[in-house]
Amino acid sequence: MDLKTIIFYVFAALLIFAALRVITARNPVHAALYLVLAFFNAGGLWLTLQAEFLAITLVMVYVGAVMVLFLFVIMMLDIDIKRLRQGFWRNMPLAATLGVLMVAEMALVLSTDYFGPVAFPGTKMGADYSNTRELGRLLFTDYVYPFELASIILLVAIIAAVVLTLRRRKDVKHLDPVQQVAVKHSDRLRVLQMPAEKEGE
Amino acid sequence: MITLSHYLILAAILFAIGVVGIFLNRKNLIVLLMAIELMLLAVNLNFVAFSHYLNDLSGQLFVFFILTVAAAESSIGLAILVVLFRNLSTIDVDDLDGLKG
Amino acid sequence: MLKNFVMPDLYPAAPELFLVAMACAILLADAFAGASRRWLAPVLTMLTLIGCALITYATFDGTATLTFANMFVDDPLSDFLKLLLYVAIIVVLVYGRDYLAARNLDKGEYYLLLLFATLGMMVMISAYNFLTMYLGLELLSLSLYAMVAIDRDSPRATEAAMKYFVLGALASGLLLYGMSMIYGATGTLELGRVAQTIHEGTTNRTILVFGLVFLVAGVAFKLGVVPFHMWIPDVYHGAPTAVTLLISSAPKLAAFAMALRLLVSGLFGLAEHWQSMLMLMAVLSIGIGNLAAIAQTNIKRMLGYSAISHMGFMLLALMSGVAGAEVDPMALINAYSSALYYIISYVLMSLGAFGMVLLLSRGGYEADNLEDFKGLNKRSPWFALMMAILMFSMAGIPFFVGFFAKFSVLLAAVAAGHVAVVVLAVIFSLIGAYYYLRVVKLMYFDDPVDAASIRAGLDMRLLISLNGLAVALFGLFPDSLMMLCTATLVRSL
Repeated sequence: MDLKTIIFYVFAALLIFAALRVITARNPVHAALYLVLAFFNAGGLWLTLQAEFLAITLVMVYVGAVMVLFLFVIMMLDIDIKRLRQGFWRNMPLAATLGVLMVAEMALVLSTDYFGPVAFPGTKMGADYSNTRELGRLLFTDYVYPFELASIILLVAIIAAVVLTLRRRKDVKHLDPVQQVAVKHSDRLRVLQMPAEKEGE
Repeated sequence: MITLSHYLILAAILFAIGVVGIFLNRKNLIVLLMAIELMLLAVNLNFVAFSHYLNDLSGQLFVFFILTVAAAESSIGLAILVVLFRNLSTIDVDDLDGLKG
Repeated sequence: MLKNFVMPDLYPAAPELFLVAMACAILLADAFAGASRRWLAPVLTMLTLIGCALITYATFDGTATLTFANMFVDDPLSDFLKLLLYVAIIVVLVYGRDYLAARNLDKGEYYLLLLFATLGMMVMISAYNFLTMYLGLELLSLSLYAMVAIDRDSPRATEAAMKYFVLGALASGLLLYGMSMIYGATGTLELGRVAQTIHEGTTNRTILVFGLVFLVAGVAFKLGVVPFHMWIPDVYHGAPTAVTLLISSAPKLAAFAMALRLLVSGLFGLAEHWQSMLMLMAVLSIGIGNLAAIAQTNIKRMLGYSAISHMGFMLLALMSGVAGAEVDPMALINAYSSALYYIISYVLMSLGAFGMVLLLSRGGYEADNLEDFKGLNKRSPWFALMMAILMFSMAGIPFFVGFFAKFSVLLAAVAAGHVAVVVLAVIFSLIGAYYYLRVVKLMYFDDPVDAASIRAGLDMRLLISLNGLAVALFGLFPDSLMMLCTATLVRSL
């Protein structure tokens, strides 16, 4: 076994373990953390496939942003964990059987010789090959149309998230710092001119 | 020797775990969303592996866009989840029974 | 070798570019306009759609043009579908206005999401690459998820949105898995080159069919056919009726384009495989859709199940393109143009039917139960007549547009030799006629439960009358539309 094979099996085993824990973990926070582990391992595997840019993006975007969002929502919602687990193991035998069957069938198709080393030997890039530069070059030439579409999708996500969750609460005693800073002494103290009054009148 | 098949079967296992996770987590919508992320990860693994073995970068670019869309998708999904929780105080799939017939 | 950026030909994509520019302008205008100028967003949205229609019409040239590195196709089919799409969205805007205003849902964001959903559909209609098809689909879906949940204080609407989201994300996963397999087997994402590679026969067919199964599952979900139909009744029922009106109409055009481009333009070499899958789904959809619709008391749900059966009919036409080993171009065009004709007539009828539900609804009151249609004839004979026309047409009763749509689909299926399937489809349609005619019976022979007079703007009254009359007129003169469909497909495929 060469080093690459060992690395593949280690990462693959960890990835499958983490994925299984994601769907079986008792606590949603643990599930989210296992998902982070799964993404790290997937990133490692992508490095062995010479997709450096995507491996780094996966870790940055997913672990850095998406999973933090998940954790944030989990913490924000007051979830009753005990209730969520009721009946979990009742579905297990059926689900596990289905899963194993599915994997067996898919593996049967995918282990064909067609995908073996003869037709797909894999390519080794030289040391001066930059995956990031090549991707960037394509992204801003041939793929400019999908790139613009992706930006619109992100815009839709922003609009949707704002329209669904933004609430202006009226019962909060909220101070506006802009108004606080902009206040002048004449706003705070009003000098009244009035005739002097005598005591007792 | 690691061939393309190894990566594809690994992706198939991940994909199946994602599908099973959707069936299994009938009580917890958040984990259900995570299972969907696992499915997308499996698809991405497929594309990256094909891209490497075909020596064609368009597969990697597809993954770049799937990552972007998946991030947008999870933000909308979590927004809907938050709104749902405000209305029903639950994220249990079985409690989503207001619509029947 | 440094590849420099070459400016792509933007001319074929002019409507899309105009729409994006206008959407950004509306976003800013609405943010700065303030509460007193709420009319600004809907008016600008309407102008945008009219502008898109003019641009699409003006740039129509009857040939297929590829641009953006062959990711975008502008052919007569895409122009035709886009024009229909604009009309459908304009109708959605007019029908939905009063309903949304009464529920305080007519925010600027609603119109923005509507425009972005329209853009997503346009991208799907013009997609010539797996990647752009996926991005268009997601743009459409993400906008729709948010629109279903836009009434965020309604438990029903948010529940529908959650179900739609989870099942939609699952379907996207299946679609992507299929696309990845086909990419692996052919080495390209471009539909034309996929078709060419399959035609050359150098790839592994097992892998292609394996990917095809997942791909068809994803497409079937978006069309809403059995066994991927679970979301349809819940989303139709739970969403605000104005959004249901949208979901039931324009996206069907885009889903048709998606099915046609992926299966016919891309994977035509696998027709024998996907046709048998479509046949199974078509029969199940027509059967289950019609049977389940009978049991419904909510008209939105009932129309949801009816949508499932109608999409089954459309698949029936799509699966009749190739019979046996010989590819007969005439039979091919015949089958696909009857599918196109079916989808157009369905969109027309669906717009009218949900428009009637919106017409009877008012502030704080949803006319979404069958009961609410009782005695409509006594309240408004004209609108009762319109609804009766729509129901007759949906049931496939002769001399309305729905009849000719069903008839041409069944003819195409018989021509392809699927006689048993046709017999089944006819039997289930006859059963299905019952629940459409029940609505007619309620309107004409029962006493009204709700006696309030019908109030709606003049534009809505006119448009809904026009909609009903169009269903009747296209039924009397079906040839012109059919010829248009055929001519479009001949020049595009």
